[in-house]
Amino acid sequence: MSITNLDHAGQQAPAAAQRPTVSVVKRDGRTLRFDDSRIGAALTKAFEAVHGELGAMHRRSIEQLVKRVDKELAERYIGEVKIYEIQSVVEHVLLEAREYEVAQAYIDYRVQRDFARSKATDLNHSIVKLLDKDSSVVNENANKDAEVFNTQRDLTAGTVGKAIGLRMLPAHVANAHQKGDIHYHDLDYHPYAPMTNCCLIDFESMLSKGFRIGNAQVDTPRSIGTATAQISQIIANVSSSQYGGCTVNRIDELLAPYAAMNFAKHEADALEWIEDPERQREFAKEKTRKDIYDAMQSLEYEINTLFTSNGQTPFTSLGFGLGTGWYEKEIQRAILQIRLRGLGSEGRTAIFPKLLFTIKEGLNRKAGDPNYDIKELAVECATKRMYPDVLNYDKIVEITGSFKAPMGCRSFLQGWEDEDGDDSVEGRMNLGVVTLNLPRIALESEGDPGVFWALLEERLATMHDALMYRVQRCTEASPGNAPILYVHGAFGKRLGPLDKVDTLFRGGRATVSLGYIGLYEVATAFYGAAWEGNPDAKQFTLSVLESLQSHAKEWTAESGYQVSVYSTPSESLTDRFCRLDKERFGSVADITDKDYYTNSFHYDVRKNPTPFEKLDFEAEYAPYTSGGFIHYCEYPVLQQNPKALEAVWDYSYDRVGYLGTNTPIDRCYACGFAGDFNPTARGFACPSCGNEDPRTCDVVKRTCGYLGNPQQRPMVHGRHTEISARVKHMSNDVRVPLSALD
Amino acid sequence: MPLTPIPRLWQAEKVSHSYVADYKPFSFVDGEGVRCSLYVAGCLFKCEGCFNERAWSFRLGEPYSDELGDRIMADLAHESVQGLSLLGGEPFLNTQVCLEVVSRLRAQFGRTKDVWCWTGYTFEELMADSDDKRALLGEVDVLCEGRFEESQKDLTLAFRGSRNQRVLNARESLATGVATLRTEG
Repeated sequence: MSITNLDHAGQQAPAAAQRPTVSVVKRDGRTLRFDDSRIGAALTKAFEAVHGELGAMHRRSIEQLVKRVDKELAERYIGEVKIYEIQSVVEHVLLEAREYEVAQAYIDYRVQRDFARSKATDLNHSIVKLLDKDSSVVNENANKDAEVFNTQRDLTAGTVGKAIGLRMLPAHVANAHQKGDIHYHDLDYHPYAPMTNCCLIDFESMLSKGFRIGNAQVDTPRSIGTATAQISQIIANVSSSQYGGCTVNRIDELLAPYAAMNFAKHEADALEWIEDPERQREFAKEKTRKDIYDAMQSLEYEINTLFTSNGQTPFTSLGFGLGTGWYEKEIQRAILQIRLRGLGSEGRTAIFPKLLFTIKEGLNRKAGDPNYDIKELAVECATKRMYPDVLNYDKIVEITGSFKAPMGCRSFLQGWEDEDGDDSVEGRMNLGVVTLNLPRIALESEGDPGVFWALLEERLATMHDALMYRVQRCTEASPGNAPILYVHGAFGKRLGPLDKVDTLFRGGRATVSLGYIGLYEVATAFYGAAWEGNPDAKQFTLSVLESLQSHAKEWTAESGYQVSVYSTPSESLTDRFCRLDKERFGSVADITDKDYYTNSFHYDVRKNPTPFEKLDFEAEYAPYTSGGFIHYCEYPVLQQNPKALEAVWDYSYDRVGYLGTNTPIDRCYACGFAGDFNPTARGFACPSCGNEDPRTCDVVKRTCGYLGNPQQRPMVHGRHTEISARVKHMSNDVRVPLSALD
Repeated sequence: MPLTPIPRLWQAEKVSHSYVADYKPFSFVDGEGVRCSLYVAGCLFKCEGCFNERAWSFRLGEPYSDELGDRIMADLAHESVQGLSLLGGEPFLNTQVCLEVVSRLRAQFGRTKDVWCWTGYTFEELMADSDDKRALLGEVDVLCEGRFEESQKDLTLAFRGSRNQRVLNARESLATGVATLRTEG
């Protein structure tokens, strides 16, 4: 990829001699090449503020003014010029030209920007916003119920943490974050605390070797029920020591040895009380099956009732499906049966944990495979409860280098061998995410690809510094900051109090994520809204991701930390970036006018491809973003037609690694309706009786990689609009059969 | 109440103009699996509460063409498509179109793709009617049959709208001469 046309503004300049050859020292300390198109843009804004829509005369005036500023700067400065010096020249030129009102508007705008910049790091201002219940503060995360005390306490602490964190960041990173060029995620936790993001907890070693939480030393469990109880305690504790999600990888295989202990105990009882050896075995199996079911049901309830110090139900995922033994299969079956049954007497859809079912050729993919019956149950479960999402074994290995479930909702570790040369995934983690606002770069480029690539390069330099700062801050933790992670085994090693946590991060053991958003909008800026069928546009979007990937590789090599490219879930970022860009560029058709940016590389949610077309379209992108990706398809009600969903799963097997099902499963307990609730201005309402009371309805939508209950916990505006705009990937059929869920 | 068919009067050759009301490839709601759905135009039953009243007209949509047939065959060839669904309108009053499409399907795909058909006729009525109807019945795998009765409407039923309607294993029914319900799977 070549970076061409760095000096793009120079092309139209008639008198190149007047062009200042200085560098600009920005407020945040960066030194950039002088670019007079930024002055032109600022003047245009000021003219518009005074005159409204601009005519040709105004545009000529602006051109003249920019030339005068250039001339003045060229005469006065050699080498470096500070940004406020440029501003002062602009003001004088405006006054000399007797553009008093424009000068006033220009100065006002500058002052406002300076105020805004200062306010973000000013605690008092942030706290007033919190007290006013500003929705961008209280609804930022759909998994937090802003009504309850511990969420409020978390938001309060987060407000302080954020303000302090912004001051800790390198100035240019903080500035880029505040402007919306990039997003430094989870500022309420990090860098204020040197916290990590998400992980695959090493349950195997924790359960088999024992662990400590608080004052309690916990021994190896002697039954599956105790094992699942310990798992939920570990999840609660880990979730309070990091800010992202955690996953139990291959839980069926993890728990099988403990279920075998239940069987041994029941077998001993049977020998004592039953004569017939056949009956003894049947008795022990039946009792064990019941134990497995009860243990998995307890786990489901415990995870849903957990409340961490973050004021939220922890983002938890369970990966399963690869075990072939009797215990493993019983565990898999129980997980699905419990999910199918639902929570409580109403049988509500469980939002947590996310279920990740793995499909593998020869194991469970086709009729006749030994675990095919479990796959059929998984398909049924997905038609009724949306989860499980599907991991296609071979594709995950191909894209990420080894098999593992994602950490939290979609963050994938990359293949890595431990010091013994073994492929290892348990106990590894992600250190954090910074996301790049790609659509903004496209909007700033105004159709010039050369400008796009140059700006991308400039922003990636800031991304690099932001990511490296994230890593460095994480390494400043001491094992005592998070004993569950570093001392008691969740991160796979048991460190002493003086050991360096960095030993767990270096050399590819941990990842740090270069996130991005809005590939659809990027191509729309250059090729129009309906570009998906245009091979040039497709190639352009692929080369954008290829560029991110090659930078990530470069940074990995030079830093010794694995930088991975990540398709950010953007639960609230979809709103934030778009809102900031709408303020700056106005309402741009199919880009900012929608009020949301499209997640990652996803197909425009407003369009109507078949699931097959959507998968074919998206399949090419995921290999470039192996640090995190997911594909969804939107379906009509599928409860009567699991074979149709299975057809899509089967089609996906050789094409994509990670697939989620979005299908209407909303329920109204007031009138009995089951299907898709209609979006309203703020939430969702029963199409049959208009009910929108969360106590008497169950609305479940995909908010990011996780499901959410938008009726109970409202989402930010942009995410709500995006969900409302989603079109089912099927012919526009009006006859959706509504079937009872039970 | 829907009308009762009159065997010698209700003949495709007399009423059909070989019109197709709609064609929907990759449907998730017309039978089992992912299907290509052909909605032929024209029906005489006029069931109260019909989901597709517009298609009572024998002139809705476009005349069936070889190009449409080509497109249907191309869509059916997709690895994820389980088969063809014939709906309407009334497929058994448009046997010219339906027999043409089904025979192309059998020639190209044999029994690897299945055929589902929705009709207002009962299996017994079809057996007692004209040759073209029995010929089409002979090519159908699953027959969703009987008039839609508003009074027996039940939206929780799979692949049918009212409780009097039946989902039959058409091949077994034809072989035994007795309407045989389809078993799941």
